[in-house]
Amino acid sequence: MIAIKFIIPELFLSISIFSLIIIGVFLKKSFEIIYRLTILVIISIIFIIFSANFETEKIFNDSFVIDKFSIYSKLLILVSTFFVLLISKKYIIDIKNNKFEYPIIILLSILGMFIMVGSNDLIMFYMGLELQSLALYVLAAIDRDNIKSSEAGVKYFILSALSSGLLLYGCSLIYGFTGSTNFEIIAGISNEFKIGVLFGMVFILVGLAFKVSAVPFHMWTPDVYQGSPTSVTSFFSVVPKIAGIAIFIKFMYLPFKEVLSEWQYILVFMSIASMILGSVAAIGQTNIKRLMAYSSIGHIGYAIAGIASGSENGFKSTLVYISIYVVMNIGAFACILLMKRGGKYIEDIDELSGVSKNHPLMSLGLMIILFSLAGIPPLAGFFAKFYVFMAVIESEMYTLAIVGLVTTVISAFYYIKIIKVMYFDEPRKPFEKFVDYKIHGSIFISCFILVTFFLYPSFLNEIVSKINIF
Amino acid sequence: MIAHALFFYFFSIIAIISAIFVIVSRNTVHAVFFLILDFISIACLFIMIGAEFLGMMMLIVYVGAVAVLFLFVVMLMNVTEQKLSWFRGSKRSGHIPTGLIVGSVILLELVVIVGGWQYRDTFSQTEFLKFDSDFTNTHLIGNVLYTEYIHLFQISGIILLLSMIGAIVLTYRKREGVKKQSYIKQISREREDSVKLVDGEFNKGVSIDD
Repeated sequence: MIAIKFIIPELFLSISIFSLIIIGVFLKKSFEIIYRLTILVIISIIFIIFSANFETEKIFNDSFVIDKFSIYSKLLILVSTFFVLLISKKYIIDIKNNKFEYPIIILLSILGMFIMVGSNDLIMFYMGLELQSLALYVLAAIDRDNIKSSEAGVKYFILSALSSGLLLYGCSLIYGFTGSTNFEIIAGISNEFKIGVLFGMVFILVGLAFKVSAVPFHMWTPDVYQGSPTSVTSFFSVVPKIAGIAIFIKFMYLPFKEVLSEWQYILVFMSIASMILGSVAAIGQTNIKRLMAYSSIGHIGYAIAGIASGSENGFKSTLVYISIYVVMNIGAFACILLMKRGGKYIEDIDELSGVSKNHPLMSLGLMIILFSLAGIPPLAGFFAKFYVFMAVIESEMYTLAIVGLVTTVISAFYYIKIIKVMYFDEPRKPFEKFVDYKIHGSIFISCFILVTFFLYPSFLNEIVSKINIF
Repeated sequence: MIAHALFFYFFSIIAIISAIFVIVSRNTVHAVFFLILDFISIACLFIMIGAEFLGMMMLIVYVGAVAVLFLFVVMLMNVTEQKLSWFRGSKRSGHIPTGLIVGSVILLELVVIVGGWQYRDTFSQTEFLKFDSDFTNTHLIGNVLYTEYIHLFQISGIILLLSMIGAIVLTYRKREGVKKQSYIKQISREREDSVKLVDGEFNKGVSIDD
């Protein structure tokens, strides 16, 4: 019974999911009210988490842990979901996909992520992972009359189920060799059963790399990002990435911290491959959602570079990186959701040509966000990359740092190409003008954070430096 | 010990070969056959290490569910084109030989497990699972499932709820002109609403329109 007061956010989330389902079933045309209630639920969970004290607490036989790390990840997940829901509402109604289950499934996937980032046990971790990815399969296919969305759903489902199977096989190997599913016990005896733990670790790494879409397990990303509705893509590119990177950090620094020298090479390879593929493959893309998919693969490469350094500064720089990445991506997708002409949402990059003449404010916002994604100082994206490379150089991994810098320059090419298209090409017909304070406000907040970050860059560092997972 | 190793290799080789055939066989029906064989072999392995509850659950849930799936596959495929001829013949199909092979292997496994039952005591000396032998498997699982692992049990409930919602979201379509049954309307119907007594005059018709 004592444990209950520590899981109030999760309990509140599940109870509100159940009540929202009941409300949605019995009310007619309930999309609007359920959507608002969902946003209300998210805000209230943010307050609930803030009202609790930030002490480390282990409950349910040490299988679930509440510490600063999990609280930080949960807050990041909640805030980004809040903004994703704000910017995507108009789009969902416009493509006539206003089913009341949509926000409820998003809440369920958040519940899965909460369980995942708080887990201290292999079974608990797997349950959370399944809950969140099952929700994501449904979300990818939610526009069921659109053949591309269905294709994205099926593709994601099959590949993700396969990777879940590999991950579960790794978990069972580790349980078989160490005799425990608890992260700390595994860490304690992983040196005794090194070969077995290594085998299991490789399989778990495959599963995790798939969930965060790191090369060479990235194949699903462009198709799923392009196929699913843009509102879902904006969710995909932000929220599961936070949870995936958080659990990635936890796995590397908690159960496998004793075998650091073994996983370091794997992570360095993944990081270099993701950075190169993310920057090179994005050059030829004409669809902006596909381009964002490759861009997110590249960014995950930088985030993994921080983990690969294996130091405490490494994972902290990754947390800073993923936080800034979230801000940039929400802004970018808010801009994409403004691209509407003749009642249809468009995704081609060519359609942006000369958009600065007709929509100066939107193109200014998109320009700031793209410059930040490319990592141009003094925007926040530069600081994110700066901290990661600092941590990498501190661990004396110069190859990784050099490859990272080179790929940053390559990826700057395609971001700046979009800016060139927007500002220097022939203007086309203007987009549909509509004023949606939620979308414009989100772009403004995103740009504001990105531009003013350099005034006080240690703000985020100070928060992150208090986080400890050991 | 040797008997135990022999049984273990017997079942696991069958399990691995049939798992390979699930992937290799081009015919879905054959793949389902081999999947059933695979599950049965794994259930035998579970029983061998003393986890009889898990083995039986494997049989009931997987083999039972797969049998239903099998029926669906047969229903959805074009059954008319499949010839039910025997081994020989110009247009023979692989169903009957495959079914026979899978069936005979399952029968062989049954013979082995029933015939090997008298060596049961030699197995239990090797302790694979550490538990108090006074309790049955089911009892032990029940003991921890609702105490130590209650949170995981609840989470799996939520996962099932989500899969239900997902299936409904992706398949349910509202159709126009569907006549729904309304109990309240049916029960609250009075006799006067539907029955009208008319005094019909002799040799004259009755107009029922008004």
